[in-house]
Amino acid sequence: MSRFRINPVKVTFYVIAAIFLILLPYYVSQYTVTTFIRIIYFGFLSLSMGFLIGQGGMISLTQTAFFGLSGYIIGIFGVERGLMFPWPDLMAIGAVAIMAFLFGMIAMGTHRIVFLMITLAFGQVCWAFAAQNTTILRGWSGIRGIRPFVIYGINFNEYQNFYWASLILFALGIFILWRISKSPFGLALNGIRENPRRMAAIGYPVYWIRVVAFLIAAVYAGLGGILAAYNTGIIMPTTIQLSRTIWVLLTVILGGASFFFGPIVGTFVAVWLDVLISGVTERYNLVLGVVFLIIVLFSPTGIIGIFDQMRNDKKFNSIINFFSPKKEKPNS
Amino acid sequence: MELKYIILILNGLTQSAILFVLGSGLTLAFGLMRVVNLSHGAFYMLGGYLGWSVVKATGNWPLALLVGGLSIALLGFLFEKTMLGRVRGNDLPETLLTVALSMIIADVCLVFWARTAITLNVPQYLNPTITILGVTYPGFRYLMMVISILIAVSLWFILYKTNLGKAVRAGVDDRETVSALGININKIYTSVFMLSGLLAGLAGVLGGSYLQLSPGGDTTILTLSLVVIIVGGMGSLLGAVISSLILGQIMSFGLAFAPQYSYFLIFIPMALVLALRPQGLFGRQI
Repeated sequence: MSRFRINPVKVTFYVIAAIFLILLPYYVSQYTVTTFIRIIYFGFLSLSMGFLIGQGGMISLTQTAFFGLSGYIIGIFGVERGLMFPWPDLMAIGAVAIMAFLFGMIAMGTHRIVFLMITLAFGQVCWAFAAQNTTILRGWSGIRGIRPFVIYGINFNEYQNFYWASLILFALGIFILWRISKSPFGLALNGIRENPRRMAAIGYPVYWIRVVAFLIAAVYAGLGGILAAYNTGIIMPTTIQLSRTIWVLLTVILGGASFFFGPIVGTFVAVWLDVLISGVTERYNLVLGVVFLIIVLFSPTGIIGIFDQMRNDKKFNSIINFFSPKKEKPNS
Repeated sequence: MELKYIILILNGLTQSAILFVLGSGLTLAFGLMRVVNLSHGAFYMLGGYLGWSVVKATGNWPLALLVGGLSIALLGFLFEKTMLGRVRGNDLPETLLTVALSMIIADVCLVFWARTAITLNVPQYLNPTITILGVTYPGFRYLMMVISILIAVSLWFILYKTNLGKAVRAGVDDRETVSALGININKIYTSVFMLSGLLAGLAGVLGGSYLQLSPGGDTTILTLSLVVIIVGGMGSLLGAVISSLILGQIMSFGLAFAPQYSYFLIFIPMALVLALRPQGLFGRQI
């Protein structure tokens, strides 16, 4: 039962981190808590993209569109039609799942770079629709006035309550995705990442496994979108523009795409970098672009990869293999 | 009434001219190097802005076209030599590098150029009003079509009549064998990437004179060029010609009859092609 082996150092670390996060609103400013809420909803989005890249080897640039779609559903049905919790939220997740299924069915016939281009185009379709449709989606001005609900007497308009709710959802989400990636399904996905043809040859339904993975990832992006819509109170086309998608891709690569927690670490660093830099210079994107270049050129395993390397100095193989599929391993 | 449609068709052809110059650059680089240059839109924008500055300083539009094209070719050369070459053959890091470059270029453009939309001034001698068979249309747009046709012909000539072109076409089919035959494939990669940059820069100056340049416009342009090569087939020059002709008309008529969805409409041929013929109209299976 090596799966349940307990590493005391790790457990202590996690417990301290959990206490730190839970008690956060008691000892930091509202601004800091709000920043953590941002990290959580972008963390969902980043996790969604990171799951596809790290576990499935698919760089999907449609994830931000799913993020925005759920926000729009909340805006349309929660604000404008006045439906009560949990209906707009369930509808948002449902809509994301349906759209992901349809997109997945089209896109999963392709691999790697072509897949990337097609998902980029999908994301841009959604952006174009959101920007140009004024009757339902309100064009460039977007839908405003999205507010969290009061559920069982707990008012989620108070930022502490909203933070705790987001934190619980995030922890739950991370745990479930972790179990998925360690399940036979996740391992099959890893196999497909390494060699789709061989997986098909030994009888795995490669196409459908990829579609389902795409769907799971989309639901995570959708969850992030719901939290984002409640927190910012507004959903508009700029939420889903390409530069946002690229930013999310950066967070995944920054943290380390081959590590489960890479996207979360990357989001944490990128958001705080934004907060710290914005006081000094307007050139946040320039700094990020340069960081991105350096990471891709010199440390393709990201921040976690650097620490990992320092810790046991073994060849960082998994992502290297993922990034260079042309070189077949000798034993394969 | 008929006149209106002729004007719309001409507008569509003008649009096609830009789309072709954009798409051919992207498709060339993709066909040979299997790199999707996601900074293609940023190249376009930078080329356009540089051209704008040249026109503003000297008033010389042909010089602007030259400077815009050549400086982006130089940028492509440097980027290929110093960065892209380091991760050669790994398509994902290659793509990510171009993403990073596009972020940097877009932000640098914000430093040096206006945050509002700008358009290059075309001198009067390049923009006479031309009347053919009773249809009056700006001469500069005819000039754009002519330039685009010249580019198409020269690309065809380079690809099918020169040694470089032979090596490029052979490299598309099998790069290992080409390099085993003693051809320096790295030099060919660099030349093709430069050529692709040149085309993006030219498209930027052309597009900046016809449409306008604005911050954030690079993503729109990138998307348009991607749609051109997805519809036409990646790596196919003929595909780029045909798909830019189709998309140009859709954009022009869409703008006239369904302005709310003009940008959205261009994705319909893309969806159809993806569903019915995923490799594109003239592409081959990758």
